[in-house]
Amino acid sequence: MVSLFERITELTFNGPDMNLFINGTERVINGVWEEETLLSVLREYFGLIGTRFGCGKGLCGSCTVHVDGEPVRSCITSVNNIAGTSVLTIEGLQQDSEKLHPLQQAWIDERVPQCGYCHSGQIMQAWGLLSKTSNPTEEQINAFMDSVLCRCGTYDRIKKAILRAAVMLQQSSDTHV
Amino acid sequence: MSDITRRSFLKATAWIAGGITIAFSARYAMEKSVAVGPTLEFPNTESGKGWLQIQSDGKVHMLCPRMEMGQNANTGLAQIVAEELNIRVEDITLHYPTTSETAPIGFTAGSLSMMLFSKPVAIAAASMRENLRCRAAKIYKIPVDEVLDTEGGFVIIGSPRLGYQDLVTDESIELDCEDSVIPNLYTFDPRRIKKQVGQEAEPRGIKDLVTGAAVFSGDIQLPGMLYGRVIKPPVRKARLKNLNLLSAKNIIGFFDIVRDGDFVGVVCRTPGSLDKAVRSVIVEWELPEPINQEKINQLIDINVALQDGDLPRTVQDENHSPSANWDVDLEFAVQLQTHAMQEPRAAVAHIEKINDIERINIWTGTQDPWAVKRHCASDIGFSEDQVEVHPMRMGGGFGGREHYEVEQDAARLALATGLPIKVQWTREDEFRVGRNRSPSSHRMRLASDHKGVLSNWWHAYASGYVFYSRSRLPDWLLPIKRSTAGGDFGVSRGAHPAYKSSSIRVEYKEVDLPIDLGVWRSLNGAPNTFVIESTMDELARQKSIDPVKFKLMNLPDSMARLGNCLKRVEKMASGKLLPTKSGYGRGFACGVYEKNSFVAVSVDLHIDHEARKICIDRMCCAQDVGMAINPDQLRAQIESNLVWSIGMALMEKVEIGDGQIASNNFHNYIIPRMSDIPELNIDVIDNPTIHPAGAGEVALIAGSPAIANAIRDATGLRLTRLPIKYTDITVPGAL
Repeated sequence: MVSLFERITELTFNGPDMNLFINGTERVINGVWEEETLLSVLREYFGLIGTRFGCGKGLCGSCTVHVDGEPVRSCITSVNNIAGTSVLTIEGLQQDSEKLHPLQQAWIDERVPQCGYCHSGQIMQAWGLLSKTSNPTEEQINAFMDSVLCRCGTYDRIKKAILRAAVMLQQSSDTHV
Repeated sequence: MSDITRRSFLKATAWIAGGITIAFSARYAMEKSVAVGPTLEFPNTESGKGWLQIQSDGKVHMLCPRMEMGQNANTGLAQIVAEELNIRVEDITLHYPTTSETAPIGFTAGSLSMMLFSKPVAIAAASMRENLRCRAAKIYKIPVDEVLDTEGGFVIIGSPRLGYQDLVTDESIELDCEDSVIPNLYTFDPRRIKKQVGQEAEPRGIKDLVTGAAVFSGDIQLPGMLYGRVIKPPVRKARLKNLNLLSAKNIIGFFDIVRDGDFVGVVCRTPGSLDKAVRSVIVEWELPEPINQEKINQLIDINVALQDGDLPRTVQDENHSPSANWDVDLEFAVQLQTHAMQEPRAAVAHIEKINDIERINIWTGTQDPWAVKRHCASDIGFSEDQVEVHPMRMGGGFGGREHYEVEQDAARLALATGLPIKVQWTREDEFRVGRNRSPSSHRMRLASDHKGVLSNWWHAYASGYVFYSRSRLPDWLLPIKRSTAGGDFGVSRGAHPAYKSSSIRVEYKEVDLPIDLGVWRSLNGAPNTFVIESTMDELARQKSIDPVKFKLMNLPDSMARLGNCLKRVEKMASGKLLPTKSGYGRGFACGVYEKNSFVAVSVDLHIDHEARKICIDRMCCAQDVGMAINPDQLRAQIESNLVWSIGMALMEKVEIGDGQIASNNFHNYIIPRMSDIPELNIDVIDNPTIHPAGAGEVALIAGSPAIANAIRDATGLRLTRLPIKYTDITVPGAL
């Protein structure tokens, strides 16, 4: 991926810089990009392409990221409303460079993706669930995941992967105790 | 045994740097492609279609002949290569060629990948293996038939193993297997205990999909790239009446307007400024004639069509007796549906000048990159050599990415501005210009004797064009093809009865609707099967015969595989008792897709009056597409198809407003969500001696009629208009 900073310099307009913490690193945004959605800034400014554009209206969930620990739809989140917050994207989910995040591993184990386009959003939404509800029921999973669409219809496997990841997370927290 | 020929290679790419390669040949092309039209160069058994190479390090490389959109066909083909070469799937490196790197190859559509490519790929890999065996025999100095297979190479008793790397040199060798005798194909050898084929290989690239690293066309970024969008008409036939672009030019980040007749493009420096600029454009459209739902309904009304006598096309016509004593006579309405793939289409185009010659590069997710190349060349006045399409992974296809559309937007804007341009269609753009599945109107009549033996079959219907839709072919050729092709095969798909009847007439009429249409998963296979299986179910119930028994009784011997699916699914369904409470129902349906794919589905559901909802509780499916190359991925396709059948039966409908496609996003085009998904029980029937057939659009055809039949079981109502809503059930006299 080619860095965009060259062309962004040319677009800098007067106005204060703003900061975001993206995947644990402080990043500065300036110029007209402050007027952009979080999705555009992540994808086009920082080249974090894993967050996908699906509907532009917060209706499908493909663009889901976490802002201060809560899953949000980045396509309808304006960056200038979230200055100073911490943003977590699919690229930052994996903490251990040797090992995928349990949700990512469960997604592979259950062979969830077909076209794969929605799954960054699915996984980020699922992390929004599991980070607070370690042992969700099927009803809780349905309720929480219902807002993220998958046109390929991989829902059954998504559900199985979430249940599997919940067990993996439980086991890893048991070993740490 | 294959001949080894040395050739000077056309291109000095890294691909042909050294080692041994299987040549690709388009010599056996089915039909020469026209500039505007689908790419139809499919392989046959002689053409050695897979592009395989073993490089001098012994590593096996494969050029993927299929575009990837979630069906994982290339993983299946890699399993075949692995089987033939005695290696593991993970040992094969996959490459996705651009349109300049290989000869054209048929579009990725119609669930043809396994059917058309599995054997050529197996032949290519087996030819390579046997050639290498000859080399090993020379080194071992023994007759070739004494050289035994081993993992990644060969062996003879008492000598060290020879790996493929020991048999391949840095010299480029092209192995031409067109004229050779076909070697033993391990993939299709029923005696062989297979190690790769039939296994549940992990889909290639899955890790990139869960880490966000997978690259789709909208992810491409080029230095100096700008963002463009073309103002889309509200419906196909609309013409530009008034346009005011003044406010757009004042938006911070605005770059340029590109206008050529009704083509109006806006180019900006950021995605957000582009949104603002496009929103500020004041545009008025006019229509040569009013377009609305009522008009569309009239155009395809089957009863109006039948007033003129016989319909122009027949699928089957034997001993027809119009005045038979019909036991059932039903009218059906199937809705306009769209693909709504998760990734709205996007393309990046860039024109560069090399040695004074302009070349355009286009990155796009398309089911037919060579069609995009040809069409683009004719659209912007380039020669085909000046166009290179870089096919990208697609976020869903389903038949919705076979035309030159978003690529046209990007190519024209790149040409006009001289800069790299990214065009990301909005979801609203997708809805406005989507190639939707045509609505259709059907009348189906059946008669049987008192024992339930079918005697008379009459299915008549009208539908918009499916395959021969606008811009499928050049404007001058399309009307010719429509009148000479003997009927649009997209419209007739699925209309051929699987059942036997002494009198049969299946007829249809194609209508040129004033909205954009195209191919959608299964083409008209799902609508036609919905009609057939609903009517068969109704006749069985009216004759007080168990619907499954009734269908089995009327299937000819040639449909044994279909009957087997139906029996299996009945057994699966009976494993769980249906509650005897009122409002619970079970329905069955079956169908054949493209002659060789057989499926049966059962549905258990209940009507939840409190939630005012039709709730699907359980779906069982038995499917037989012959050899199961990757059973897990077959299951995945079945799951997907079953989910689609729920959408078709109960939710999805593109609304047409006054002079516009009114559905424009997921709030007014409802697709299934997680809570809509029932328990799924799937039986993949493996028939290892039967050549694999398509699986990507099979279960869908039986899913929606099984739902309608279960509603009939639960409520006594035969509902014939899709999508079926809860309110249809509460309205008295819905039959």
